Amino acid sequence: MSEGGMLAIDGSRETGQDVRTQNMMAAVSIANIVKSSLGPVGLDKMLVDNVGDVTITNDGATILKLLDVEHPAGKVLCELADLQDQEVGDGTTSVVILAAELLKRGNELVKQRIHPTSIISGYRLALKEAVRYIKKTLTIPMSKLERSNLVMAAKTSMNSKIIGPESDHFAEIAVSAMQNVRTERPDGSVRYPLKAVNIIKAHGRSSRESVLVDGYAINCTRAAQGMPTSISNAKIALLDFNLARHKLKLGVQVLVKDPRELEALQQRELDITKEKIQTILKSGANVILCSKGIDDVCLKYFVEAGAIAVRRVPKDDLRRIAKATGGELVLTMADADGADEEFDPSWLGSAGEVSEERLGDGEIIYIKECVKTAAQTVVLRGANEYFLDEVERSLHDSLCIIKRALETNTLVAGGGAVETALSVHLEDYASTLGTREQLAIVEFAQALLVIPRTLATNAAQDATELVARLRAKHAVSQQDPAQGEGMQYSGLDLVAGKVVNCFEYGIVEPAISKVKSLRFATEAAVTILRIDDSIKLNPREEPQ
Amino acid sequence: MMGGPGGQVFVLNQTQKRESGRKTQLANVQAARAVSDIVRTTLGPNSALKMLIDSLGGIVLTNDGHAILRELDVSHPAAKSMLELARSQDEEAGDGSTSVIVLSGEMLTVAEPFLRAERLHPTQIVQAYYRAMEEALAVCERIARPLDVHDRDSMFKIVDASVGTKYVHRWGDLIVNMALDAVMKITVEGKASAKEVDIKRYARIEKIPGGELSDCTVMDGVMLNKDVTHSKMKRRIENPRILLLDCSLEYKKGESQTSVELTNDTDWDVLLKLEEEHVERLCADIISHKPDLVLCEKGVSDLAQHYLQKAGITALRRLRKTDNNRVARATGATIVSRTEEIQETDIGTGCGLFEVRKIGDEYFSFIEKCKDPKACTLLLRGGSKDVLNEVERNIQDAMQVAKNIVLEPKVLPGGGATEMAIAQALSEKSKTIEGVQQWPYKAVGIAFEVIPRTLLENCGVDVVRRLTELRAMHAQGGNERMGVNGETGVLVSMDELNIWEPFSVKTQIVKTSIEAAAMLLRVDDVVSGSKKN
Repeated sequence: MSEGGMLAIDGSRETGQDVRTQNMMAAVSIANIVKSSLGPVGLDKMLVDNVGDVTITNDGATILKLLDVEHPAGKVLCELADLQDQEVGDGTTSVVILAAELLKRGNELVKQRIHPTSIISGYRLALKEAVRYIKKTLTIPMSKLERSNLVMAAKTSMNSKIIGPESDHFAEIAVSAMQNVRTERPDGSVRYPLKAVNIIKAHGRSSRESVLVDGYAINCTRAAQGMPTSISNAKIALLDFNLARHKLKLGVQVLVKDPRELEALQQRELDITKEKIQTILKSGANVILCSKGIDDVCLKYFVEAGAIAVRRVPKDDLRRIAKATGGELVLTMADADGADEEFDPSWLGSAGEVSEERLGDGEIIYIKECVKTAAQTVVLRGANEYFLDEVERSLHDSLCIIKRALETNTLVAGGGAVETALSVHLEDYASTLGTREQLAIVEFAQALLVIPRTLATNAAQDATELVARLRAKHAVSQQDPAQGEGMQYSGLDLVAGKVVNCFEYGIVEPAISKVKSLRFATEAAVTILRIDDSIKLNPREEPQ
Repeated sequence: MMGGPGGQVFVLNQTQKRESGRKTQLANVQAARAVSDIVRTTLGPNSALKMLIDSLGGIVLTNDGHAILRELDVSHPAAKSMLELARSQDEEAGDGSTSVIVLSGEMLTVAEPFLRAERLHPTQIVQAYYRAMEEALAVCERIARPLDVHDRDSMFKIVDASVGTKYVHRWGDLIVNMALDAVMKITVEGKASAKEVDIKRYARIEKIPGGELSDCTVMDGVMLNKDVTHSKMKRRIENPRILLLDCSLEYKKGESQTSVELTNDTDWDVLLKLEEEHVERLCADIISHKPDLVLCEKGVSDLAQHYLQKAGITALRRLRKTDNNRVARATGATIVSRTEEIQETDIGTGCGLFEVRKIGDEYFSFIEKCKDPKACTLLLRGGSKDVLNEVERNIQDAMQVAKNIVLEPKVLPGGGATEMAIAQALSEKSKTIEGVQQWPYKAVGIAFEVIPRTLLENCGVDVVRRLTELRAMHAQGGNERMGVNGETGVLVSMDELNIWEPFSVKTQIVKTSIEAAAMLLRVDDVVSGSKKN
């Protein structure tokens, strides 16, 4: 409410319960938007921007990124989804839903005259205990991750997406790609760089005809039609300079006295590049990839040598090709004294075959059978652009999941299993505490159930009953581990509407993804709960 | 957006519109159906043309699905997605863009009752659709017939079937022969039987209004819309030696910034002379290799023209790069970029005749009678530009069909026979499907019937009766080649009628339409006016 005369601000100010309720509502309505996209039976959103471009997606982060959210608390939630997307890559929808639920319940507690700081510390306590419990009991012990487990994790992530019906096919692609890009750092740590997997989209055919190419593919064409379309035993030169008429740097002027020297100068301009190209070709290169331009004037040398030259290859692609083929990105050919130009054959990368192939309406250059598998390419096919964009997003999420799983080696059961188990456990835990945090922890436990409940609701199942059954299973497993063997992995099978052992059923997620999403959701809820005053200044009027 | 105690809480920007739930799904279905209704009447041999007038007043007269939809300006996002389908079908297969739209519109329409009355969850429908797609493709595989690409007769019939639905049908034979000739010419058998048929680059269609449609030809070579640069140059050369250049025959300044300080008054003359000498040297280089014809992508200065003309060399200037590439393929020449580097092997000798002819008001250069040209020009003549444009589109489709068969020599029966066979197989198979997915699975089969149904509708016969008859025939088994004669509406075997369609086009239609329908069915929320990322 505007305080008007009391406080001289040019704007409106809201305090106390009002602002808390508003923030809560903003968060809940954001969560409501993405809610229906959660889970294997979640649906997609179609977003039309102000130009009229269409995006069809199921990915929480993408939806929220495209929405124009005005409310500050709503913005916090959008950023939360974005954070989860960057840190984990998947689970963006669930993190938003959870944060909104925590806020809602926190707000109720405040109404019961519990100070927000107590709630906050209760939430923090609950989070700590939850993370400890996940690590202790809920992770699926796995000394070495089997490939089948990875496929399961990938499929779990894909199931909710547009490629759900084809998840078998795509899960294999995603897992192979990520396993192939495994790189060991000098310090012994192992990394799975996501960027090493290149995704190329070409409309046409069907999504089932999407393939993983062993090697790298770039969306470019040969510079001249006279070049061969395929070269085996390729020696690849990766250049990061212009192959055009040599040009002096800007501002450098050449003054000649004798007009005839002008002619010589021009001749030289052409010859410098010619010599460069000949040095490159002499080193044995038969594929030349250049990040800058190649002048038409120079193309004939390549055509005559029977080499493939490609111009304007994106630099990022070149770097990855360098990694995969063992070559080196060459910035300049000048040697140390700068006198001579030479091209060291050791700079060349090698690959079994480089070929240009037709794909849909265009051409693509494939670099196959590289020395290393450090670069992989997935070629996606599908009905139209919107479809392909969504497939790419879905595949990206799955790749992230596999990456996390490979890096951390621990999995947890999906399908709402972890949330329910934590909920049951935290309620018990709360009763061991005699402080006012107890109430907050109970609410935290209740809030976690929003995930299985939303999953069930989206599947048009009886949420109340299913969640009750699920809780019962987890309660047994926690009270009497002997009797409840394997019951800690109980989760929902949403198509049949049953409670199943999710681990056996193949619904798994990396533990790190769950832990992080709990952390982020709690942090976001805490941030918003702490707010008790909101001042919105009127936009300053433009001076006339 | 909810009401709070402190007044309304606005979470989203007020300019955004949001629609969700069943309403959205039904609206999407309707939008898709609206698009498919537009092109529906253009399916089959009895199809009608559409006349479209664009915002500038230009006219497009066509029955090509993609060409119609390209001109439309739709605002509904689902409809937009449908338009994209026609584009991807056109680019991938080159034909069948109408079928794909009609079929995916129908796929969504049959899903409507499930959404509306039976409250089936869209994911269930989508899964059933994907399973149906698998079966449909299996059926295609089963009833496909292999084909010998070198058998001109059967190739002719297939392309003829595709052309049968188009405007140029009346000149059918001619167009089909042209398309076949062109594709056969540019087919290159690569190593490991990787064939290359690059229509976009090497089969150029040139339209010259005037004359008659029957004057259309496929040339053994290339036609260029150019005249010789100098009026005294020879306009007819037999067995010319052709040189292709992509550098200019003019004096060109260097890239580096240079300035010349002139201290002597004679220096100025030297400078001018230098420029002349430069051009002279360029020409001398060329002349020493004795070409008869020089095609240059860039400019040819007056001085150069003079030297060349004196040496009896004909020159053409400012060719397009693509034209030059075609000439290179047709004559076996290599494009040279520096005149000092011309080699004997760069000269093209494959051409039998160079001639400049005047057609109508303009001069055209013909590079003809090439030995085994791997590139060609299709010369189209006809009454008006609009007609020619339509003929061009048709011939493009015909070439794509021929190309598809060359690349994958398998065919499927046309006239709705394949679709009917799929429908039959799906309805049979649906009985073995467990659970609720049975119904949408069966519905996909019913959706496939839209093709024979539309064919019948466009003939103006009793649709229900004929369709029932056809269904009965297919149900008996062994009749999977029974289809509709699109001209008379009579049911015939495709063996008799000889309507066959390329396997790759047909399967592409199946894949695209089902996947696209599945994508739209999964949407339950439309937000418009969101920000651009």
